Amino acid sequence: MDIENKLVNEIAQLQHNFAETTNKLIKDIKRQNKILEQSDKRQRKEYDELLALKQEIEETQREVVFTMGAIGESRSKETGNHVKRVAEYSKLLALFYGLDEQEAEMLKQASPMHDIGKVAIPDAVLNKPARFTNEERVIMNTHAELGFQMLGTSKRPLLKMASIVAYEHHEKYDGTGYPRGIVGEDIHIYGRITALADVFDALGSDRVYKKAWEDEKIFTLFKEERGRHFDPRLIDIFFDNLDAFLSIRDRYRDVAGQH
Amino acid sequence: MQNMKIEETKYTPAIELDASGAITIVGKSYPENTFEFYAPVMKWVESYFESGAKKLAVNMEIVYFNSSSSKLFFDLFDLLEENNNPELIVNWIYDAENESAMEAGEDFKEDFEKLQFNLKAK
Ligand SMILES: [Fe+2]
Repeated sequence: MDIENKLVNEIAQLQHNFAETTNKLIKDIKRQNKILEQSDKRQRKEYDELLALKQEIEETQREVVFTMGAIGESRSKETGNHVKRVAEYSKLLALFYGLDEQEAEMLKQASPMHDIGKVAIPDAVLNKPARFTNEERVIMNTHAELGFQMLGTSKRPLLKMASIVAYEHHEKYDGTGYPRGIVGEDIHIYGRITALADVFDALGSDRVYKKAWEDEKIFTLFKEERGRHFDPRLIDIFFDNLDAFLSIRDRYRDVAGQH
Repeated sequence: MQNMKIEETKYTPAIELDASGAITIVGKSYPENTFEFYAPVMKWVESYFESGAKKLAVNMEIVYFNSSSSKLFFDLFDLLEENNNPELIVNWIYDAENESAMEAGEDFKEDFEKLQFNLKAK
């Protein structure tokens, strides 16, 4: 009987120890789960904050860039939607040319800044209603290099891109452009694209000093300037996808009297 | 008992251990090796109670922390609960806008029923 009782006591003690250990294990596992849950929740929250911050930065950048473009334009009395149209044309040309979506989107933001150098051109020259003298033309043409200098010191990829655009948007494919007179594919694709987008829009818009050209007249000029002013590949892209470009023009049409 | 002070870094909080009965931990907690980093703190708390001291106010204001810090805080509160007494209080301080800091505090409070665990929104 004694032996039996001893055994029972021992087993009871084991049972008790076992229960204690398992309870502790269960508590630990529950705690671990809780820590994981807590961390997951926090991480998701922090991720949300990160995304919101990223969006904020991107929006700020877009706004700054757009405002810079608008400043360049407003100083030379361009109409309000010119910036938007040049942006859209540039992106479309970039995509058809084969740049990826991200680069095309960047160019869309950078190309409207092409004339930012005009902020440094004296009003008397910039807004002269009559034809420029040779001297004034030289001053006017410095806006490309001025823009390049203004934006070129930035380390931001977008502003670097914009500095290329500013520098090279008046270069011509045959080497007769300015400021450097570089030729063909020595002109960066960003410059070649913006040149076409800017000219297409300028010719098709009413200005203080001129009426908008008829489409046929623009198309004739573009065909003549294929390989001269403009990259032949971009001209082909333009005519192959003419409807897309015209629908952008319709979408951002200038309202009469709007500035 | 000696006072102890650990300066804040980019990844770790400012810590003050005052032998007159106060602990403050303020900042974020992303140490490279969490348990190594807090080892002196845990040791200090252990010897504080071993010395027979009772009164202790623990003020924690942690903005961001990683999972191993969370585990470490559980361990710390375990240690406090083992030495629980009427003069021991924990204040979990958080910015009213920092929802996750608040929720973490609620979780701790829930787990350590015996402790005087106060949630204080700033
Ligand atoms: Fe220009």
